[in-house]
Amino acid sequence: MYVLKNAMRNITRSKGRSILIGVIVFVIALSCCVGLSIRNAAEKSRSEVLDSMSITAQISVDRTSMMNQSRNDSGEFDRSQFKSGLVGGLSLEELLLYASADSVSDFYYSVTASMNSSVEAVSDQTESDTSSASADMGRGGMGKMGAGVQGDFSVTGYSSENAMTDFLTGTCKITEGEMVNVSSSDYNCIISDELAAYNSLEVGANISLINPNDENEKYSFTVVGIYSNSQSTVSSEDNMRGFSTSSDPANKIITSYAALNAAAAHSQSVATTTTSDNGFTSSTAFTTQLNGTYVFADIESYEKFEDQCRELGLSDSYSVSSQDVSNFEQSLVPLDTLSQMALYFLIVILIIGAVILVVLNIFSIRERKYEIGVLTAIGMHKYKVAAQFLLEIFVVTMAAVIIGGGIGSAISVPVTNRLLAAQTEAQIEAASSQEQAFGRHGNGDIPGTAGQVQNVNYISQVSSVTDFKVLAELFGICILLSLVSGAVAVTAIVRYDPLKILSERES
Amino acid sequence: MDILKLNNISFSYGKKQILKDLNFEFESGRLYAITGKSGSGKSTLLSILSGLNSPTSGTITYNDVDINEIDKYKYRSKYVGVIFQSFNLLPKLTAVENVELSMDIAGIRDENTPQRALDLLESVGIDADEAHSRILKLSGGQQQRVAIARALSYDPGIILADEPTGNLDEETQASIIDILKELAAGGKCVVVVTHSPTVAKAADVVYEIQRLKKSKKSKSSVKGEADTKNSAESSAKE
Repeated sequence: MYVLKNAMRNITRSKGRSILIGVIVFVIALSCCVGLSIRNAAEKSRSEVLDSMSITAQISVDRTSMMNQSRNDSGEFDRSQFKSGLVGGLSLEELLLYASADSVSDFYYSVTASMNSSVEAVSDQTESDTSSASADMGRGGMGKMGAGVQGDFSVTGYSSENAMTDFLTGTCKITEGEMVNVSSSDYNCIISDELAAYNSLEVGANISLINPNDENEKYSFTVVGIYSNSQSTVSSEDNMRGFSTSSDPANKIITSYAALNAAAAHSQSVATTTTSDNGFTSSTAFTTQLNGTYVFADIESYEKFEDQCRELGLSDSYSVSSQDVSNFEQSLVPLDTLSQMALYFLIVILIIGAVILVVLNIFSIRERKYEIGVLTAIGMHKYKVAAQFLLEIFVVTMAAVIIGGGIGSAISVPVTNRLLAAQTEAQIEAASSQEQAFGRHGNGDIPGTAGQVQNVNYISQVSSVTDFKVLAELFGICILLSLVSGAVAVTAIVRYDPLKILSERES
Repeated sequence: MDILKLNNISFSYGKKQILKDLNFEFESGRLYAITGKSGSGKSTLLSILSGLNSPTSGTITYNDVDINEIDKYKYRSKYVGVIFQSFNLLPKLTAVENVELSMDIAGIRDENTPQRALDLLESVGIDADEAHSRILKLSGGQQQRVAIARALSYDPGIILADEPTGNLDEETQASIIDILKELAAGGKCVVVVTHSPTVAKAADVVYEIQRLKKSKKSKSSVKGEADTKNSAESSAKE
């Protein structure tokens, strides 16, 4: 008990020393608190976003892998080998097979076709622009089948309402009529309000969807609903870069998978096929592209999915990718960078702080050598003297940590947000410059074609960063620091000989 | 009965022998003076008696118990009270806190401790105001009184004093000698290392250490007979 009393008395009576140590520990504690808070914010944001996000993924052809497989013995790319090894998109049966993997919590699919119509596509281009864009946009597909001619409309058939992510996220909304019945194979569709206005169409109107490869092949669809799309904008710059009107969200026609699949099957049955000299077969049937979307409960399930697909027979020519995950990773880049910087800052602060405290304690012990000599000479055990010195360091450290931690937790949110804002801005600027260097305008209106940067919603604000975990880490670090620096005191106390100290003083 | 007994105590610093085969005996209720020229080993002997140093050979018994068998810190904090020439008080503490700390170390604190410390200081001539003053604000004589009070605070059987009057004026010296005599009269065994003839004169027994020869002067006829086996190294005077 008297050891503690003595320690407290020494702290109050040696104000200069106590304040000096206190200020140093305060600075260390404050810096540590902010640094740890930033790291905690990054960690928390990651888990919060992961918990709230629904992770979807697609299986797509991995061209890089295919090109690597098409290298000859000397490592050079062999085009003929590449062409012979080309694979097409996966069939619905294959997609369903991979959907049976344990990791998949839900699966839906859609089919997309490029078609013409009896109504006019929404376009701000002149007649000549439109015709040249629509006539020459033959798709160099990956399949062996010729892809045919690009139509003015993009027709998508969904297997489930869950697949309609634009409606789920609120980007699109039914404004008139109703949603198509996704389980029905009736030729019903919904169209955008822009397309409806452009052609004075109303709910109940019939439109013909025409095979772009055969203008006589028509399918009559009934408009059962009209929807608005809040992101339905295409700049003239996009059209300048050669996008067809089918790329315009206003020209997207939505129907059920069953209906579009039925139309595609009919188209296949009436199609004529021709084989060119170079062996490629082309058909007049309109082409469709099947897209399977796998839904995962968490990131771990997504990470397991590819391995499970390989076990189920997915070839190396395909890969699993998730735009959600890559967007998520992108959104965390500024915070992760900041977190990494905070870690380095923390290490530097701790090293410098530890060195300063150790040096300070060495000087302090030398200055208090006489006190140690007297205390041990009058019978105080060395371990009690050491305990008293450690207690002094500990009490001052704790007081400074409480103040530093308190102020640190108060300022950590604004400091983190300010640093994060600067980091995000730097990230956007760097990515934007990179996009411009590649000749892209980078406004990101159409994902996958322009820069990805603007499509990423960077985490640029954190709300609470200092929690119990941060405070516990802070106290742990500072206790460790005080113990390390206090160890110097203990070593000196154990080594000192009271008789020698007192003799030196007397002589 | 001897409270403290030295049996063939020798001490060397490396190859240099300082003390050789000393056989001294100390009884309670007596004031002993250890005299000798500078470098004769007086202070070394005192440090050995106080447990701050260990003899190269020989044994010291405290109440017939070898002090090597007693924890050195316990020995210093309970059985012997040491008064240093330069007082060795803690300057950050007040006089009374210095005394109380000594009681704390001895493990004898109770609710009466602050009052006992003040009483003790008063008994050596330190009033209440001075008792609550920081050490550096007190004179040399007052500091020595505080040091005496500290040495007495846990009521040890032996008081060891190293040149207790060395830094003091004659008047203060006299009052310190009176206190030491009173302590001896009160039943303590008081051992004083001194150069001062005045102190030596006041002592009941004087051990003079001269070039490894023992000079024993005792006012006590009993002590005058004692310890003749080291006569080769020391001589007794009466």
